[in-house]
Amino acid sequence: MRQLKIAVVLALAVILQSSLKAVWPPLSYVDLPLIVVVYFALQRDALQALVIGVAAGLATDALGAGGLLGAGGFSKTLVAFVIASLSTRLTLDNPLVRIPVLAGAALLDATVYVLLHRMLGQPPLAPFVQTAGFKLIGTTIVGTILLFLLERMFSERARQRRHFAFRRRVAKRSAFRLGRRRH
Amino acid sequence: MAIARTQREIRQRAPLLLIGLLMGCFALMAFDARENGDATKQHVVRTWAQAVAAPFQRLASGVGGAGVGFFKHIGDLRHASAENEGLKQRLAGMEVELSQTRHAADENERLKALLDLKEKNEYQSVMAKVIARDPSLWFDTITLNRGRMSGIELNMPVVTPGGIVGRVVGTGPWVSQVMLITDERAAAGAIVGQLGESNALGSVRGLGESGLVEMRYVSGLEKVEAGDYVVTTGQDGIYPAGLNVGQVVEVKHGSATTPHVIHIRPGARLDALEEVAVLKYKPPPRTSPDQTLPNVEKK
Repeated sequence: MRQLKIAVVLALAVILQSSLKAVWPPLSYVDLPLIVVVYFALQRDALQALVIGVAAGLATDALGAGGLLGAGGFSKTLVAFVIASLSTRLTLDNPLVRIPVLAGAALLDATVYVLLHRMLGQPPLAPFVQTAGFKLIGTTIVGTILLFLLERMFSERARQRRHFAFRRRVAKRSAFRLGRRRH
Repeated sequence: MAIARTQREIRQRAPLLLIGLLMGCFALMAFDARENGDATKQHVVRTWAQAVAAPFQRLASGVGGAGVGFFKHIGDLRHASAENEGLKQRLAGMEVELSQTRHAADENERLKALLDLKEKNEYQSVMAKVIARDPSLWFDTITLNRGRMSGIELNMPVVTPGGIVGRVVGTGPWVSQVMLITDERAAAGAIVGQLGESNALGSVRGLGESGLVEMRYVSGLEKVEAGDYVVTTGQDGIYPAGLNVGQVVEVKHGSATTPHVIHIRPGARLDALEEVAVLKYKPPPRTSPDQTLPNVEKK
């Protein structure tokens, strides 16, 4: 169930990334698949983060026609590994600490992606500093909000909260029924 | 069903998995970079990924468009009352202009019928909607909601009433991908001014980030000014002759020995494309050189 949830979130992020750019171009500065990768990399499971990173990157590459197939996969896998490694050594659970993590991830992703294209003789169209700067700002702001939402959706505490809410509802209903029978 | 892994296991396996994945991605990239040079080849992975994602992209862009439109309407309401006053005044002037325009339009219709523009029916077109753009920030290709099933083939030109947009670089069963004319890898044969009247022939290439295109190889002796129109020549084997490319915005004048460098703003609004037409244009076959001529390389 959790794997399916992850796959749905990832697919949604990749599809929205390409569709929303057609609706309003500034939305392209928010890297939704990267935010998802960062979230799962912060869960201290590097293996899961790597798989999610490569899947998000390759899916993004496959839906575009401009860049090289595999470049996004490479950069996002690397980002996932770096963050997952850091999260096992440092405490990155604080929402405030996540802001520099997101900014660093956006910068590393952009740098690796552009370097790979330059290395293979396919220079990107957009100017690096300006585009990477906008991406850093957009991804960090939206990412901070989205990480909070993803936290509510996937975390163990959220799972427990949902579980107890269900039990509370069942308990209330039972008490109500019992009360009616007594009358 | 979740597999519980210890941190030690993860720490041992992660570097190996990382190296494997990075090497796989690099191999894929190297292969794709080699394939990218060939415009006649289809990229199978991309074609099918696009085909699968197309219905969801269509849905997402539809919902997103409605959302953006809603907020835009709210913003527009603030300006509505001030605009209303101004518009009332303009309306009176417009009514006079309208009667003059009607007269001109009637005249135009009559002249068009007289000219009998046959080339307008020379090639069929497929109307298509832009459903997505390249998800990466660094490139700008678009995805159309029509593909091979609608008769779209590789390298077909894509246009709007404003001018040329680009060419088809990938076709799936029901979607196709278009490389915009502003892409650095895109090019078209063009001429400044009217075909048959001007000698300012050159090649138009994308400039990428600026949204402009650059025209090169125009003789420095030709007279070119900002504001001149540029049209296709049809010599590139992709775009038919006579399509609008755009308007000259800047000229770095050349001399007798150096060509002009001309910057052109594309006529099509590439940053806000919604509907486009894909021309089912087949360029005329190139004539092979006469093998009897002395300067032809013999096979």
